[in-house]
Order: sequence, then structure tokens, then C-alpha cells
Amino acid sequence: MRTEDFIGQLAGGLRPVRRMAPPGRQAALWLGLAAGAVGLAVLAHGLRHDLQERMLMPQEVAQWVASVLAGGGSALAAAMLARPDRSWRWALLPVPALLVWFVSLGWGCLADLARLGPMEGQLGTSWGCLRFILAMGLPLAAAQFWLLRHAGPVRPGPVLLLGGLASAALCSAGLSLFHHLDAAVMILLWHGGAMALLVVAGWLLGRPFLASRAGRDQA
Amino acid sequence: MAAAQAGDAAAYDRLLRAALPLLRAVARRRIINAAEAEDAVQDALLTIHRLRHSYEPARPIRPWLVAICERRAIDRLRRQSRRGGRESPIEDWHETLATPGANQGEERVASAELRAAVAELSEAQRTALGLAKLEGLSLAEASARSGMSVGALKVATHRAVKALRRRLGAED
Repeated sequence: MRTEDFIGQLAGGLRPVRRMAPPGRQAALWLGLAAGAVGLAVLAHGLRHDLQERMLMPQEVAQWVASVLAGGGSALAAAMLARPDRSWRWALLPVPALLVWFVSLGWGCLADLARLGPMEGQLGTSWGCLRFILAMGLPLAAAQFWLLRHAGPVRPGPVLLLGGLASAALCSAGLSLFHHLDAAVMILLWHGGAMALLVVAGWLLGRPFLASRAGRDQA
Repeated sequence: MAAAQAGDAAAYDRLLRAALPLLRAVARRRIINAAEAEDAVQDALLTIHRLRHSYEPARPIRPWLVAICERRAIDRLRRQSRRGGRESPIEDWHETLATPGANQGEERVASAELRAAVAELSEAQRTALGLAKLEGLSLAEASARSGMSVGALKVATHRAVKALRRRLGAED
């Protein structure tokens, strides 16, 4: 078919559409949703008993703030990258917060090593962390991808990655509010591992979803 | 585009037609093959149509259109190279079949013609040709074997070669 005729066909079948909210508002909407969900979980479990004392330690606070910023930054970056004309540099937005977070966890591991002795003594299993981050993170990631479903034909990869990261980081931050997990190495292993799992799951499950959206003919 | 979002078909038509040279330029910059580039332009138009609700009127339209077209062109290139990796074009001069004999049709036709030509020769000519040319005997040996005189052998061989040449088109 000639391209000029194709244009005529597209214009001929034109129906009015509802304009999508700007990416900033989309990200804010999702962050509100995530905050509400995590808040409910915290209410259900009750705050951890030593929260007040931990919030007096600057390093703990910095770690927690960094995880929240990483989540928020990833959500905004995902919403921006879902639009074709926004710069890819948005993808760098959550990087500093992520770095601070992981470096502070690594530093915490070293500090624990000096304080508590060998690592083996601090290792244990915490399936609860994994379960919470996955159970909370998967629906949040799904909501994220549904909001950003228009990214399919443009940049599905980075959007999926950042969306999964946003969900995982916020779940981890929420979990830190009520779950008692002292050793930094445990947080690094279980939170970090759960996040990696969630990001990979988001990637694998999200791809076909966005691809099917891309293939759907709305003409 | 804002008018198109509201459902103004005429404005949409104008916008897409006005954008067409830009889209074509973007696609051609990426894709050398003209037909493939035109397909990429159509892909881009379809994506623009599907994503028209995601365009923000406060922002310039040009980067939005260009970004979508770039993406579609790259997708098409990728598909093309994936396809290229799986398939290889069949050239006329390549072997078509694996069996060695299958590609020797022409030679077989030639040898069949030669056999037919030899069969048309007279008995004496065939004997002379076989002994003198194929077995490479001297005239004296050939004469002793066949019982023909040397002179008769010479004449028969000469005539046989002449007849074959005529038959196979080497001599008019």
C-alpha cells in the first residue's frame, strides 16, 4: 500500500482519544499507590520495636532515605522513558541513590564484621524478606507496567527494568520499617536478592505484556 | 496533534502528510534499501497513531515523531539482520542438489549425444575408430587385430572422425 493512502486510512478512522497524564503525574500516582500499600502492610505488622533507636543512627537513616529515593527516582525515570521524546539520561536519575544505598549496606557489613565478628555468625535465612518483597513488589510492578503500557513500542527494556527496581526498592524500604533484621549482610543478601528476583521477574513477565500491547491494533 | 487527539481527522491528515518527508529522511538515514525504509515509515505512522494519546501538547512534536520513527527503523533493521542470519540467498551458479550426479545434467546430455553419434557410424568405421583412437594401437597392430588393410583403416578412421564432427556440430 502506498504510504500516502495509508495516511488517508489512518486519518479516516480517527477517533478522539483521552490525553494521557504527564509522566510526572503518572509517577506521583504510582508512588502514592505504593506508599499506601506499604503503609497498610506496616500497619498490619506494627512498627519494629527498635525503630526509634535506629532512626537516631545517621547511617541507618541515610540507608533508608537512599532506598526510598532510589524507588522514587526509578519510578519517575520509568515514566519519563516510557515517552518517546524524553532523553535516555532520565535512566541515570536513580543511580546515585542506588549507589549510596548499596555502598552503605556494604559498609554496614564491614562495620558488623568488626563489631560482631565473623560473617558466618550473622548469616541466617529470612524467607520472610523474600516473600514480602515479592508478594508486595509483583503487584506494584504490575501496576507500574499497566500505567506505562504505552512504552511497549518505544523503549520496553529500560522501562521494565526501572519499574521493577522502583517496586523492589520501595518494598525494601517499607520492610525495613517493621521487620527486625539487624545484620547488614542479611539485608544485603535478602533484600538485594529479592530485588534482583523481582527485577528479573518484572522483566520476564512484563516483556510479553508490553509486546502484546505494542501489537494490539487500536486503529 | 492536539486537534488530532480531539478527533479532528483533517488536521491529523495534514499533520501526517506534512511529517512524511521528515519521517522518510529519518528512515532513509538508517536503512539503505528504499522499500524497507518505506516499510519502516509505515510502521512509524502506525505507532504514532497508536501512541497519539501519549503526546503532550506542551512539548514540540518534531522530537516525538523522530524518536518513534528512529525506533521503528532500528526494529526493522534488527528483524532484517535476524532474518539474514537464518537465510542465505540461493545464487544461480551454486550447486542446487547435494547428490554429485544431480548437477551433471549437461555432461550427461553431451555423452548421450556422443554415443548416439558413434552408433550411427558404420561397423568398419566404429572398429577403426576404437582401435586407432581409443585403444591407441599403431596402424599395423590395428590391421592385424581387425583384419582390415592399413589403407582401409586410414580411410575408415578419417571418415569416422569427419562424420562425428559433422554430427556434433564442430564442422559445418
